[in-house]
Amino acid sequence: MNRLPASIREDFARARRLEWQTLFWMSTVVAAMFFTMGGSQAMRSALIEDVLSLVPAVTFLIAARFEPQDPTEKYPFGFVRVNSLAFLVAAVALTAVGGFLMYESAMTLIMAEHPTVAPVEVFGHTVWLGWLMIAALGWSVVVPMWLGRIKLPVAERLRDKVLHTDALMQKADWQTGLAGIVGILGIYFGYWWADSAAALFIAFSILRDGLSNMGIAAAELLDGAPRELDSSNISAEAQRLQARLEELWPQGEVRLRESGRYIVGTIEGVHPPADLPKLDDLMGDDPAWRLARLSFSPPEALRREDVG
Amino acid sequence: MGIKGNAFLRPAGTIASAAILIAALAACAELPRDPDGTTERVRRTHEIVLGDIAGAPRSPEAERVLDRVAARLGARVTRTEGHGEELLNRLEKGKVDLVYGHFAEASPWAGKVHFGSPLGWRTDVGKEEHVPRFAFRNGENGWIALVEGEAR
Repeated sequence: MNRLPASIREDFARARRLEWQTLFWMSTVVAAMFFTMGGSQAMRSALIEDVLSLVPAVTFLIAARFEPQDPTEKYPFGFVRVNSLAFLVAAVALTAVGGFLMYESAMTLIMAEHPTVAPVEVFGHTVWLGWLMIAALGWSVVVPMWLGRIKLPVAERLRDKVLHTDALMQKADWQTGLAGIVGILGIYFGYWWADSAAALFIAFSILRDGLSNMGIAAAELLDGAPRELDSSNISAEAQRLQARLEELWPQGEVRLRESGRYIVGTIEGVHPPADLPKLDDLMGDDPAWRLARLSFSPPEALRREDVG
Repeated sequence: MGIKGNAFLRPAGTIASAAILIAALAACAELPRDPDGTTERVRRTHEIVLGDIAGAPRSPEAERVLDRVAARLGARVTRTEGHGEELLNRLEKGKVDLVYGHFAEASPWAGKVHFGSPLGWRTDVGKEEHVPRFAFRNGENGWIALVEGEAR
């Protein structure tokens, strides 16, 4: 059974299609980079970044398979948070690889290893491999920029962190490509260090993505307040809901947390009201599907503040 | 600040100026440039120092390539014979410009030095097969391009 709210099903299906397209188009980029890589450290880092950029897409597709399923005996609260878990795993991987690549390019720089980019034969013509590298890097800029741009609005409508991070990382991929191109042009003009310096910059951007994603994933796994998609600030939607709930039940304590793409609310110290306002009224102008659960716990109920 | 102030930073303008700059630089230098200036040194000293690995059979193709490179740079070839490891070590340090020998693509030295393409008409060479090739110092991309260009 598909448990997704009807109002987001269409966008959800679109997001899945977009992520399959991402896997296809990014594979062409990875292949282009792989065949032209040669001895450039910057190309190596950029290739690894492009392979890693498949991870959020795969994460999203796996989570999208689980999320609409019914709760089971072993998972009575269903699977809406599968993507938070997958996201954390992806973020840790990103951080580790970023750290490793930084070490590697720093060592290449310190050991003063000179990158070799030799001519190759293409259809009977001899071409300096660097030009092919630059073409591959150019392709690695165009594809993700275009994909990122279409995915961003869908991610915002779905309140999907994985998709949003994926779109943002891709939108920022032009920096990686450009750094790679600068590195190769550096080799062309005889500056051997330009290549490892570009690799270092790319590794740093991977590490930075990984660390910020770890922060986003941790906020949700620790039952944090609902966050904005693009920052660690509490989301405006949640703040408006909090204000409305506090106005309705001023004697209670309102606590909101995030569960996957949904908001879960608890009002403590209040008996469940006989006539609950309609969901649409509670959410005001914000999309009603976001509030997935609202529970009341009476003053005499067993509870601890620090255990959700 | 108005649009005018940022006009120079507009992508199209930046790309165009970068292209002009690159074209201008390319016009006045031999490119790709060697970070350690092998090609320039050969031109200046009129001498190509060739490491000849002892026992490696001479290949007519290699001789032809050397003649053409020497003629192009107005230099002559000075041969220095030695053992494989010794010569490749000297190549890595920049004491030799070029080493001729029979090398496999999967040589343990691959990565420390750059092995050129197999000399001669054969193109289907296995990774483990020892065939006549030149070995170059890593990163001397202009020098590699010049010699490899004459080999084709």
